[in-house]
Amino acid sequence: MYGGDEVSAIVLDLGSHSCKAGYAGEDAPKAVLPSWVGSIDAQYLPPEPEQPTKMAVDGENNAAADSKTGRPADAVSKKPTRKLYTGVQAMGYRRDYMEVVPALKDGLINDWEVVESIWDHTLKERLMIDPKEHPMLLAEPSFNTPQHREKVVELMFEKYQIPALFLAKNAVLTSFASGRATSLVVDCGGGSTTVAAVHDGYVLQKAIVRSPIGGEFLTDCMLKTLESRGITIRPRYTFKRKEVRPGEFELQMLDFPNTTESYRTYLKRAVAADVKESVCRVPDVLFEESAYSNIPTTPYELPDGQTIEVGADRFKIPDLMFNPSLVQTIPAMESFAETASSVRGLPQMVIESINKCDVDIRRELFSSILLAGGTAAMQQIKERLEKDLIEEAPQAARVKVLASGNAIERRFSVWIGGSILASLGSFQQMWLSKSEFEEHGASYVHRKCP
Amino acid sequence: MADAKDILGLPKGAVSSGGDKRRSTKDAQKKPDGVSREVYLLTGGLPPIMPALDPSHLKKKKAADSAKKVTWKWRAFTSSARSDNLQLSHWERIVDNVETTGDYAFAKYNKAVDVVRYTDEEYAKYLNDKSWSKDETDQLFDFCEQFDLRFIIIVDRMPTTRTVEELKERYYSAAKAVLLSRAGTAEEVADHSLLKDTYNVQYETERKKSLGILLSQSRQQEREDAEVLAEAKRITEIRLSNKKAEEAELLSKSAPETTTTTNEPTDKSPRTPARPKSPGQVAEAGPSIAAPVPSAPVASTALTGASPAASGPRPPRMYLRSAYLGQLVQTSTIQAGVRTTKRVEQLLEEYGCRPRVKCPTKRVCDEHMELRKELVALLQLQKQLTWKENEVSVLRENPYADIPTPSTPKRSHRANDHERVTTRATAVGAEIDSFSGERVTKRDHKRKAPARFSDAPPSPPHNKRARKMKASDA
Repeated sequence: MYGGDEVSAIVLDLGSHSCKAGYAGEDAPKAVLPSWVGSIDAQYLPPEPEQPTKMAVDGENNAAADSKTGRPADAVSKKPTRKLYTGVQAMGYRRDYMEVVPALKDGLINDWEVVESIWDHTLKERLMIDPKEHPMLLAEPSFNTPQHREKVVELMFEKYQIPALFLAKNAVLTSFASGRATSLVVDCGGGSTTVAAVHDGYVLQKAIVRSPIGGEFLTDCMLKTLESRGITIRPRYTFKRKEVRPGEFELQMLDFPNTTESYRTYLKRAVAADVKESVCRVPDVLFEESAYSNIPTTPYELPDGQTIEVGADRFKIPDLMFNPSLVQTIPAMESFAETASSVRGLPQMVIESINKCDVDIRRELFSSILLAGGTAAMQQIKERLEKDLIEEAPQAARVKVLASGNAIERRFSVWIGGSILASLGSFQQMWLSKSEFEEHGASYVHRKCP
Repeated sequence: MADAKDILGLPKGAVSSGGDKRRSTKDAQKKPDGVSREVYLLTGGLPPIMPALDPSHLKKKKAADSAKKVTWKWRAFTSSARSDNLQLSHWERIVDNVETTGDYAFAKYNKAVDVVRYTDEEYAKYLNDKSWSKDETDQLFDFCEQFDLRFIIIVDRMPTTRTVEELKERYYSAAKAVLLSRAGTAEEVADHSLLKDTYNVQYETERKKSLGILLSQSRQQEREDAEVLAEAKRITEIRLSNKKAEEAELLSKSAPETTTTTNEPTDKSPRTPARPKSPGQVAEAGPSIAAPVPSAPVASTALTGASPAASGPRPPRMYLRSAYLGQLVQTSTIQAGVRTTKRVEQLLEEYGCRPRVKCPTKRVCDEHMELRKELVALLQLQKQLTWKENEVSVLRENPYADIPTPSTPKRSHRANDHERVTTRATAVGAEIDSFSGERVTKRDHKRKAPARFSDAPPSPPHNKRARKMKASDA
């Protein structure tokens, strides 16, 4: 690699669905964990033996659960309001009264404690590095506010004592991952979909278009649809499969009355997300009930053993991205109906974003539209978007939608872009170093990381 | 192969019986040295036709490399492209314990655009503008430096809503003013790119507006526009053909009464609605060069008057007259035949007009075409005359002779293009006399003597004349 020079930087991408981390220069993140943490409120925790203050303890619960991942002894000095459990393993274990708290809300960091906990877990337990030795490249949303950026910078330098930092926008990293300096990035992520134009390596902030329809939204719709068809989705902890005869299993229901609703929903969503990823396909034309009434159904086996048949819903759910008004036909989602009326489909968002850009670059943007994000890994989405855009776009412009063939690459394209950027030789002059932070303050980040 | 059978679970009995033999043959076949048996069998058990890599070559290279000691060391480095003293570390290749020195290899890629910066006094003196405050201008110049004059991004980050053109105009004019004020004389800075190329705001605004309109038309609109245009074109074509038909009728009625001069206006009229402009019409009323007006009888003018409306390729709306003339000449060539055309061109040369018209104005071209047509007519009449004379002579000799129709000999003699039979037609009227005395390329229609003279100079006309006249006289 002639342009490459690895300084063992770490690339950290905190998204609304998952957090990706790994070394720069590699082609996939080493650590991928969900962007939620389990949190048990202080009142349910057993009293710490050294704790001077007394806490009300519920007598009847959690004998087994709380012995691990305890905070270090010095944290006892400030009374912890809650205990956080981070990571796939910790969250997969059911605990009484454990709530599931998301790290991001509306795409921006909401709960700083949760974020810190995620970063701690990622860096110390998954990657097992000492942050003092590695410069960090953080990916941030394209519409991040200056306050958020400064807070991140402060946190990173003061808590983790890293030597150098850089904040890069998601859209720019995706663009670099495909080798382009100018492109229109359609990021279909977990929490929302963002369409942003990148010109010469900088995001055009006035041309960002967002929509709340993301992977999580589609999963919710899938869940509600399946439930409305009478299929009960059982979270994994609620049953035990006992082998009655060889090859045949019987379900034994377990009861844990103190499990929180958010945890149950979290696990049900996990099952529905898997259904969505396995069977859903984007239809070639706008979805109509009548056209799809007779198509053959696809079987799917749920974790508890029951096999369900998914029919027209396979096509209806992904079509929500292109036609948000379909949400009204999904049972129990009428609460979204009002917001959905103002939301436009993907092709309209693309056209709107391009029209907000300067006329001179529109042609170039049309011919390099990039698809990124987990939801963009759905089948046939690229063909459908291209077809819809060719219809709506002006004839003078040549429309070309690009997406990497690999689903893994689409999902991690932001991280991969960061990996490429941080390992370039000519990038090493652009880091925001600790000494610069100490000299100029956190607001210097706006100068260094435009 | 034994392994394969083993994997497949086939009985080992067959293997063991032929096992010894096979083992020995295998050993015999074991040719490769340095390559394991299985790998060798991948190529089909035969030695390769061309060695891919010479194994001895590989061994040599390893020995050579080990002379230098190459190690990798994790070293801290600084870069001159950074203003602080941040030390990052990377792996460096160290050869023979000589550590690399010098600046960071990638520091040379740190290039920046040199943006003109002004001081406060300069601003007060030269750069005051009613629509731009000092703060705004300062911010603009800051951004220009930060973003390396990428105006599209600057306009995105500026808090005020201004268009790219306004920003560019302000920057370029301010920079130019500053440069001029700093320079002693004008020539010193004349080479600077800012002063060489000026920024034209109006042009840029107009251009962007029209580009915007172009790009905002969706595909459906384009289709509708195309349909409307096609429809309009069809209608105009229908109207045109109707008009031409009318003009043709008018012409044919009025042609016998008109003179040559009035012929031209009528010639023009069917054409003008079809061609609003024609670049060949340089000098419409200008001098017509070297086009002798033929002393043609009125009959031929009627012929030429009617023909432009009816015959020839339909003139396109805008065209080069010389090209159009060429087209007309082509058509007449096809109609008359190659020989006739050649003869026509010969005649033209004799009379001092060039076969290729020198100055193709409208009058000249018209006259030229008329002339050509008349020549063709003349030649055809001459031909017919000769035929008739031949017939007469043949019939006189032999009243029962079988006279071939004009078509047959033509076909048979078509190949003999170089034939030159000189005949003399005198009995035809005055106009033929005026072209007399010259060589005329004719096909030989005499049945008796298919005269195949090979490119010989024409026999003196008078001899032939005498002969013919004798025949006809008799």
